[in-house]
Amino acid sequence: MNSIAAWLLTLAGAAALIALGCAVRSGRGWLISSLSASGFALGSAAVVLTTGDGWTWQAGFHLGTAGIHLRMDAVSALFLALLAVLGGAGALYSREYWNEREHPRSAPAGRLWWSSLLLSMALVLVSSDGLQFLIAWELFALSAWRLIILDSRHAAVRQAGWLYFAASHAGTLCLFGFFASLAARTGSWDLGPLRDQTDFAPLLWLALIGFGLKAGLFPLHIWLPSAHANAPSHISAILSGVAIKMGIYGLVRFTGWLPLPTGLPWVVASLGVVSAVLGVVFALGQHDLKRLLAYHSVENIGIILIGLGFALLAAEQGNVVWGQLALAGGLLHVWNHGLFKALLFLGAGSVLHATGTREMSRLGGLWRTMPWTTALFGLGAAAIAGLPPLNGFVSEFLVYLGLFEATLAHGPSAWAAIPAAVLLGMTGALALACFVKVCGVVFLGAPRSPAAEGAHECGRLMRTAMGILAAACVAIGLLPVVFWPAVARVVEAWQPAWTARQPAPAPLAVLTFVHVVLALLAGAVGAELWRHVHRGRVGRAVTWDCGYAAPTARMQYTASSFAEIITGWFAWILRPVRHEHPVEAVLPVRAMRTEHTPETVLERIIEPAARGVLRVSTAVRRLQHGRVQSYLLYTLIGLAALALLIVMHRAG
Amino acid sequence: MNEGTLNLLVGLAMGLNLLALGSSRLPALIRTVAAQGVVLGVMPLLIEHETLDWRVAAVAMATIAGKGVVIPWLLRRAMRAANIEREIEPFVGYVPSLLLGAGGTIAAVGLARALPLLPEHSGSLLVPGAMASVLTGFLLLIGRVKAISQVCGYLILENGIYLFGLLLIHSTPLLVESGILLDVTVGVFVIGIIVDRIQRAFDSLDTRKLTTLRE
Repeated sequence: MNSIAAWLLTLAGAAALIALGCAVRSGRGWLISSLSASGFALGSAAVVLTTGDGWTWQAGFHLGTAGIHLRMDAVSALFLALLAVLGGAGALYSREYWNEREHPRSAPAGRLWWSSLLLSMALVLVSSDGLQFLIAWELFALSAWRLIILDSRHAAVRQAGWLYFAASHAGTLCLFGFFASLAARTGSWDLGPLRDQTDFAPLLWLALIGFGLKAGLFPLHIWLPSAHANAPSHISAILSGVAIKMGIYGLVRFTGWLPLPTGLPWVVASLGVVSAVLGVVFALGQHDLKRLLAYHSVENIGIILIGLGFALLAAEQGNVVWGQLALAGGLLHVWNHGLFKALLFLGAGSVLHATGTREMSRLGGLWRTMPWTTALFGLGAAAIAGLPPLNGFVSEFLVYLGLFEATLAHGPSAWAAIPAAVLLGMTGALALACFVKVCGVVFLGAPRSPAAEGAHECGRLMRTAMGILAAACVAIGLLPVVFWPAVARVVEAWQPAWTARQPAPAPLAVLTFVHVVLALLAGAVGAELWRHVHRGRVGRAVTWDCGYAAPTARMQYTASSFAEIITGWFAWILRPVRHEHPVEAVLPVRAMRTEHTPETVLERIIEPAARGVLRVSTAVRRLQHGRVQSYLLYTLIGLAALALLIVMHRAG
Repeated sequence: MNEGTLNLLVGLAMGLNLLALGSSRLPALIRTVAAQGVVLGVMPLLIEHETLDWRVAAVAMATIAGKGVVIPWLLRRAMRAANIEREIEPFVGYVPSLLLGAGGTIAAVGLARALPLLPEHSGSLLVPGAMASVLTGFLLLIGRVKAISQVCGYLILENGIYLFGLLLIHSTPLLVESGILLDVTVGVFVIGIIVDRIQRAFDSLDTRKLTTLRE
C-alpha cells in the first residue's frame, strides 16, 4: 500500500475537478489548476514507478451492483505519467493556440471538455471495476468527440467527428461484451488477475477488437487520420499521444490479467508488423501535414504492438529474457511516441496557426520566419524517425534487442522474429524518408504561397509547451538507463512470473554512453557551424543555375513528387488516384499531374460494406409501411411459425 | 351435466365468431360481440360444481356487465359519432373470411387434440374455442379496414384469451380478472375517443389513411 502515491493522486483529482469547475469562466484559473493537477499526477505516477508499490481503494458503499474500486500499479502509472505530461503541455499550448480572442465561443468549451477528457482517461487508468471502467471509457470517448468537433463550422470536421463517434461505439460494443461476459463468469464486476481461469481466454479476442479500434491498429484505423487531421492541434496531440494509448493500455492490462488464447500472440505481433509498415507507407502518400502525422501514429502503434506481441509469445513459451526486452521496448515506445508525436502535432499546429493551411504543397521556407518551430519540429522528426541520440531510437533499440534475442533462442518464434526485425528496419527507413519529405517541403526551400511567406513565429506559451516535450525526448534519449527501472517495474507488474528483476541490459548502458558522446559531438559541430555562418563567411547565391537564372518557388519538389518513387512501390495497397495531362509537344501549352492517396481501407472496404447494409435495410424497411392490418398479419405469421416449430420439435 | 352445457355455450360462442366474420353491417357486428360477451359471462357459473363461490359470481357479473352492456354501448356511441354503418371494402372479403374462419376453427379443434392437456380438460371445447376465437379476432383485425370493426376483432381476440383463462379460474386471483376486464373497457373507451379523432382528422374511419402517420 503506497499512501503517498494515493494522496498525491487525490490532490491531482481535486485540482482537476477545480479545473473542470472554472474552465468556462476563468482561463487563467483553469490553466493553473490543470498544471497543478498534472504535477500531482506525475508525482503520484513517479512514486509508484520508482517504488514499484501500487495501491488499491474500495469505497464502502455500492452503486447498484457496482462499487467504486480504484487500483494503481506500475502499468497504470506508466500511462498516467504520459497523460500528466501531455495534459500539462497541451493545456499550456491551448491557452495561446485556441485563445478567447480568436475563438470566443469554442475556447471555453474546449477547456471544459479538455479537463473532462483528462479526468475520464485518468479514471480509466485507475479503474478496477468493469462497470466503472466502461463509464469512464464512454465519458472519455464522448469528451474526445466534443473536442474533435470543437470547430464544427466546417463539414469536414463534423464528418471526422461522426466517423470517430461511430468507430468508438463499435469498439465500445465489443468492450461491453467483454466486461459483461467477464462479470457474468466471475459473478462480480471487480477486475483483477485471473490468470488461472483458462476458460476466460477467448474473451481476449473481443478485447483485441474493442481496444484495437481505439488504438488504431491497421485495418481498424479508419477513424484516426481524419479525426487527427481535423481536430485542433492540441487535441490531435492528446488524441495521438494519450487517447489511442488507452487502447494499448487496455491490451497490456488484460493480456496481463487474463490467460492467453492460443494464436493471440501471433495475431498481435502480425498486426503490429502490418500496422508499422502500412502506417508509414500511407503516411508517405499524404499531402496534408496533420493527416501524415496521423498515419505515423498507426505506424508507431504497430511498433508498440510488435513489442507487446513478442512479449506475449515469450509469455506463452515461458521465455523470460527476450519477452522482457520486447515488452520494455514497446512500453517505452508508448512514452516516446506520446512525447514526440505530441511535439510534432504542436509544431504542426504552430505552422497551421501561422499560415492557415495544412496543405504541404502550399508551405515551404518556414525556417526563416519560424526558427523555433523548425528546430523543435526537426527534433521531433529526428526522434520519430528513430535517429540516435533521441528517444525513438532507444525504444526501437530495445524492441530490436528483444527480436534478436528471440532469433538466438531458436524455435518457431525465431522464424517470426527475423522478418519482424527486417520489416521494423524497413519501417524506420521509410519513416526517415517521410520526415525528410516533411521537413524539406514545409521548412526548407522557398515559400510556395503568400500564406507561407507571411508566416510568423508562435508565441511564448506555445514554444514553452513544445520545449517541455522536446526536453523530455532528449532526456530519455540521453539517459535511457535512468528510465529502465521504471519500465522494468511495469514489466514485472504485467507478468509477476518474470520476477527476476533485471538490471539494465548491458547494451543499454553502452547506448547511453554512445548517445551522450553523439550529443556532445553534435553540439560541438552545431556550435562551430553557427559561428561559421554568423561570421558572415557564407554568401547566398542561386543554386545550380545552369543557364536558367530565374527559378520560381513552383519549381521545387512537391510533397507527392518527393515520395513518388516509394509510393510507386506500394501502389498495390495505396491505390493512388492520378489525374494527368501529359506533356505532348516540344513546347507544351499546358501539362499537369496530380496524385492523391485515398483512405483505401475506408473507401474500398468499409464504405461498400456499409452501402450493402444500407441497401438491405432499405429493403427491409418496406415492411414498415404503416398498415396496422399487415403488422398484425406479421404477428400472426410469427406466432404460427413458433407454434409449428414447437409442434415439430415435439414430433421430432 | 354442466360439462355438456358448457360445451354447448362454447359452441355457441364459436358460431358467433363466424357470424362476426360474415356480417358487414357494424350494428350487427357489435350485437354479435355483445352476445358473445354475455355467453362468456355465464360460463364461470357453470364451471363451478359445488357451492357458488362469490368471487366467481362477481367475475361473471362484471363480465356480463362489461362485455355485454358497457363496451357495446361505447362502441355504438363511437359509431354514431363517426356516422358510419357498414364496412364497405374490407381487405379480406366476407366469404373468404368465413371460409378462413371455418378452416381456423377446424384447425383449432385438431390442434387441441395434439396438445398435451390435463385429463379433465380433454373432453371440453374450451381450448379449441379459445384458439378459434383468437384466430377469428386476428382475421377481423387483419381483414377489416374500419376502426370499429377492428375494435370488435380485438374484443373477440380478448374473448379467446378469456376462454383460456377459464381453465385456470380457481387459481387466478379476482384482482387479475377484474384488472383484465378494466383494461379492456378502458382500451375500448380510448379507442372510441381515437375513432372520433380519426374521423375528424381524415373525415373517414379508413385505417389505411393512417399510413401517412408512419415513422
